Amino acid sequence: MIEVYAIADHPGPPLPDVNGVRAVPAGRIAALCAEVEQTELSPAALWAHEAVVEALMEDRDLLPVRYGTRLPDEAQVLRAVAERHDALLAALDGVRGASEVSLRVVAPADGPAPAEAAARVHEQLAGQARAATVLDAGESRDLLRAAYLVDRGGSAGFAEAVATHQRAHPDLRLLCTGPWPPYSFAER
Amino acid sequence: MTDRILHAPPDLDLFTRDQPRLDDAFPRRINADPETLERGLAQLVLTIVELLRQLMERQALRRIDGGTLSKEQVERLGHTFMELDKRMVELRDSFGLDEEDLNLNLGPLGNLL
Amino acid sequence: MSTAVADQEVALIDLVDRLLGGGVVIAGDITLAVADVDLVYVQLRALISSVATAEDKHLLPRMGSAL
Repeated sequence: MIEVYAIADHPGPPLPDVNGVRAVPAGRIAALCAEVEQTELSPAALWAHEAVVEALMEDRDLLPVRYGTRLPDEAQVLRAVAERHDALLAALDGVRGASEVSLRVVAPADGPAPAEAAARVHEQLAGQARAATVLDAGESRDLLRAAYLVDRGGSAGFAEAVATHQRAHPDLRLLCTGPWPPYSFAER
Repeated sequence: MTDRILHAPPDLDLFTRDQPRLDDAFPRRINADPETLERGLAQLVLTIVELLRQLMERQALRRIDGGTLSKEQVERLGHTFMELDKRMVELRDSFGLDEEDLNLNLGPLGNLL
Repeated sequence: MSTAVADQEVALIDLVDRLLGGGVVIAGDITLAVADVDLVYVQLRALISSVATAEDKHLLPRMGSAL
């Protein structure tokens, strides 16, 4: 099976030698993919996959593809990408020169759950990012999960903004991670 | 991959307490072998059927509790669901699946059934 | 626990949110193996939330006359 890691520009810089990744070009984009064995879904497998995507992102803009996107052969990869060429290119344009920063907000142990305060923090951080989106926190106790699209190299500055909000909100706990490839901004 | 945390408070455990559920949140082996694939598809289909059966049962119970059904209708409902349940067990057995096989974990959504 | 491992543990939820919930979906109507399972995974989530909504609004189809 061929695992698709990301969508990038075509032509593009030479690919790093990682996992046998190769490019399947279609018009002005290419699917970056590799032959993989059956995989047991586990944290280790996810981190390994992420390592490949991040290695690819070091010297190119890309749209990360959802994990587990596997197709039987390159012809089908080509077809899948060609069918969506314009939409994929537009999405890629939307994340050029950017990476993603993640935010999780929880209440302190034994504290009340100030959801409004979390929402305000999100609004303000969103104002400092190219784009922002709220993620589904599912059954967890998180008050908020959000993603912010920031310029590459801008994550340290963003982290400082988060630190400032943390200081201003002792009733919240903020966790900020990144930079990530722009997973939350890949689908339009 | 290191230095991924940009900002964190000292009480980090607040952010990892949901972890145990996450660890068994991953779905089963992704396996492309045709034999296991067929079983896997049967598993998915039967899981959906089981989901619908449970939803219908719940709705039926609500109507029974609502007291708007005749004694005869309640009896028929009861009988039907007994039959449905038997049929599900038969279907499961024919694919070599047991009750736990029909429970998909959907990560943050929890278990399907 | 080394810092890197601790980092990974704390960031695991963020990783899962992104890899399994984000990223572009290019396998649309593929009928084979793994891609199909992944797609169904996505569709089941949509099914659950729409069924839950339909239940709340009493929109689930009525029982047939056999019942």
